[in-house]
Amino acid sequence: MIVASLLLHGLGLALLPFLLPGVINRVKAWWGGRRGAPFLQPLWDTSRLLGKQPVYSVTTTAVFRLAPLVVLATTLVASLLAPMLPGGGLLPFANDFVAFAYVLGLGRMFLTLAALDTGSPFEGMGAAREATFSVFAEPALFLVLGTLALGSGHGTFAELMRPHGWQALLVTPLCALGLFLLLQIECARLPIDDPTTHLELTMIHEVLILDHSGADLAMMQYAASLKLTLYAGVLAALVNPIRVDDQPLLSALVSLVLMLTIAVIVGLFESLLARLRMRWIPQFAMAVAVVGFVALLLATTQPELG
Amino acid sequence: MLLLHAAILSLLIGAIACIALPGNRLRAAVGILSQVVATLLVLGAVVPVLGHQPAIIAQLNWSYPVDLILLRLDGLGALFLTFSMPLTLLGAVYAYGYLQPYFKSDRNIGVHYAILNMVSLSYLIIYSVENAMVFLLGWEIAALAAWLLVIWDYRNQRVRFAGFNYLVSTHLGLLFLITAFLVLFSETHSFDFGQFGKFLQHSSMTRNVTFMLLVASFGLKSAFFPMHTWLPRAHAAAPAHVSALMSGVIHKAGLYGLLRFTLLMSTPDEWMGWFLIAFALLSAVTGVMYTTVQRDLKRLLGYSSTENVGIACLGFGMGYLGLSWHNPVLVVLGFAGGLLHILHHAVFKCLLFYAAGAVYSATHSVDIERLGGLARRMPHTAIAFLLGGIAIAALPPLNGFVSEFLLYSGLFEDSVVGGQNRGLFVLAATVLAFVGAVSAFSITRAFGLTFLGTPRDPHIHEAHDPGLAMRSALYVLSALLFVFGLIPQVGLTMVAAPVGQFITLLHGGTDMARVLAVPLSLLMPIVAVGAAVLLLVGLLAAWRKWAMPAPAPAHRTWGCGYTEPLPRAQYTGASFSGHLASYYTTLLPTKLDSHMPQGPFPDEAHLRTHTVDVVEDRMFEVLDSGEETLGILSDNTPQTPRIAFAFGLVVLVGTIALVLASSGGRL
Repeated sequence: MIVASLLLHGLGLALLPFLLPGVINRVKAWWGGRRGAPFLQPLWDTSRLLGKQPVYSVTTTAVFRLAPLVVLATTLVASLLAPMLPGGGLLPFANDFVAFAYVLGLGRMFLTLAALDTGSPFEGMGAAREATFSVFAEPALFLVLGTLALGSGHGTFAELMRPHGWQALLVTPLCALGLFLLLQIECARLPIDDPTTHLELTMIHEVLILDHSGADLAMMQYAASLKLTLYAGVLAALVNPIRVDDQPLLSALVSLVLMLTIAVIVGLFESLLARLRMRWIPQFAMAVAVVGFVALLLATTQPELG
Repeated sequence: MLLLHAAILSLLIGAIACIALPGNRLRAAVGILSQVVATLLVLGAVVPVLGHQPAIIAQLNWSYPVDLILLRLDGLGALFLTFSMPLTLLGAVYAYGYLQPYFKSDRNIGVHYAILNMVSLSYLIIYSVENAMVFLLGWEIAALAAWLLVIWDYRNQRVRFAGFNYLVSTHLGLLFLITAFLVLFSETHSFDFGQFGKFLQHSSMTRNVTFMLLVASFGLKSAFFPMHTWLPRAHAAAPAHVSALMSGVIHKAGLYGLLRFTLLMSTPDEWMGWFLIAFALLSAVTGVMYTTVQRDLKRLLGYSSTENVGIACLGFGMGYLGLSWHNPVLVVLGFAGGLLHILHHAVFKCLLFYAAGAVYSATHSVDIERLGGLARRMPHTAIAFLLGGIAIAALPPLNGFVSEFLLYSGLFEDSVVGGQNRGLFVLAATVLAFVGAVSAFSITRAFGLTFLGTPRDPHIHEAHDPGLAMRSALYVLSALLFVFGLIPQVGLTMVAAPVGQFITLLHGGTDMARVLAVPLSLLMPIVAVGAAVLLLVGLLAAWRKWAMPAPAPAHRTWGCGYTEPLPRAQYTGASFSGHLASYYTTLLPTKLDSHMPQGPFPDEAHLRTHTVDVVEDRMFEVLDSGEETLGILSDNTPQTPRIAFAFGLVVLVGTIALVLASSGGRL
């Protein structure tokens, strides 16, 4: 069982972070009337970059060289905690979702520090934005996950994703909505951030990694896609109607379909929406917090807690 | 007890010798030596208490009005002594490097070392006496010693003002403490803590008033919002090691006082727990918000003390609720988390202040807007600051995350009954997450702008890493971050005895091993996660080295069309935090002084921004108008009795508080 889930996890790590962005890009291409790149194009891009030697700016220090390693390592560790494929992380422990958020926080810190290390005003701008928006997104994430934790035993991700009673009717949809909006903030998708633009003044994530190249860039991009996969995985696990204890394989399959559906929805959003103005993004994050708060209010009035 | 007496003797002899001996080098060496001896003696005495040994008890007979002085060094006092003494010693070692420029001058460095010895002496008194009068004596020694340490550079008017500000504030706190003690004396006719305890065990209106007085006093000592205004000024003005000791060690006495009286109260009321949680979160949020806009590195670290005592106190609030709900798990998680956070904060805050001090002694500036690119010139300091920053932002794998994780575990604890209670706990966790994210924001800003990029001001001196004395402090503390972060058993063993004392309040005897079991089982996965991150970073680094053996080509930073990056065009501290601060203008009002370029041929233009502390601003306003009122009153009073008039006013206020308190709500 452990070997099987490890294999499954490895397969997920190797495939999903390339497939989901591929699906998003394909959806955008279809909507725009183009044929689009193959689904696994991000995989070929990454393997091409991995063979290339990075170039380092003379301004940078060891922090810049360390950053891609830390970002990738933290995201990989986070993938062990999150229910990427259903059922919960490979290493479930009490309140592992707190560790999930904080491990990703370490990666974010190095991502922004590397941007400041280049001494470029554009990347400084990106660093300030990334750090500022995380201040608004982090509490929203805790509000949503904390609400889900109310009904669970020891607050492992696996238990969080198993809503029961009438909680499932009201709280879960709200939390799912909150998680989807958080995915758009945290994974730098529209309407928060435009992953395709090359105009430095309007970007967040892309401008942060402007100076990374070669293998370093590949690590950064893979980590970003993996983070998208993790958020999509959490969301899929939450709305997955099939319990992993009952039918593990079917549940995994349903989760996979759900994750692809989420990618399609993200792609549709990107085709239909324009990016928000920068100063509206904190309000967007606060809206998530409001959604989480309403869910919390509903959850605390549950009879079994009171 | 003999060991403690010997330690006191060593500190006193050391203090006298420091001042009397000739030559600054010798004085400093003697000062450090006496601290080493005292620290070893004290550790020899208290470490067994942290294990399974009973408390050290002794008594001294004194003349009227003190009579009998009871000394009782239990687990709680032992914990505070265990980190206070070595960290003060480390501060003394650091001072040897930091004060080096003064060694050749005719100033007597020995005085400084003598005062550091007095600080250590004050710990021995505060953390062991059971007598209110002697406690106040120790309290006052600590306050005066800290004040004298702050005004080291007394020729500077700004420093004198900061020192005076501190002196006044700390004595305001003292007034509250004296009032509380007098209330207790009037109820028990004794200054003995044991007698206080007998009275405090029963819920009454007087107990509530006393509790509030104590919280006000201890809160002011530990710089809780809104009584924090003295702190950023004092920390910016003092030498780096003094700031470090004040923030990390000396002012933890406030939290010690709170815990000491918690033990005396045995079962607090539920409202006290909720009050402490609200009070703590308020401090944490405002403290951390102020760190985002500071341009003075040491002021920034000063504000973060307000944040961190808030986080520790959040744990104590949870512990209070655990005591009143009879929930042992919550008691363990709350008090263990809070105490660990005190311990961890002492380590990383000292480290950060020492790194900031190294920056100051190398560049003569701690202004974020002028610095930049220091990592190339002072790599050791940069690494130390980065590690301290990761710890203070509570990120894995360092120690800050360990204590905050325990607090989160308490807040998500499922044995808490009641939907409302659990909902409020989730809200508290959300606030804690906000504090964590803002803390990461401001330490990224501080480290990124000071140490990375290129120097913003060409007039800054050619910087280099400090000498061995200062570096050794950085090394020791950096290592401790990993020890406490990756081997939580060390910290948990240290706090086990005091946490056991709190558990004993719930149900008689307690088994040490069981006290530790819950937090340890919660923390072990965290250690695995932290270790996994370190291991993966190592593996990935090895892979990159293996896959790309050739030296990496170097190039300029991509300037988006500009061929040469301009150091002055880099992001500044104000621009980094501008967007965030614009959402909190009530708390972080930014004053602008600008002359914008106008017309086709603009003349000189400038823009100056300054974010002020609202509380201090408002306080000075009130004081100003109050002074006017008092001035009118005192103009009608003859000249000499004016001081008597002021004293009379204070006595009047105190008396009214006493009457109110002793009436026990019967009025």
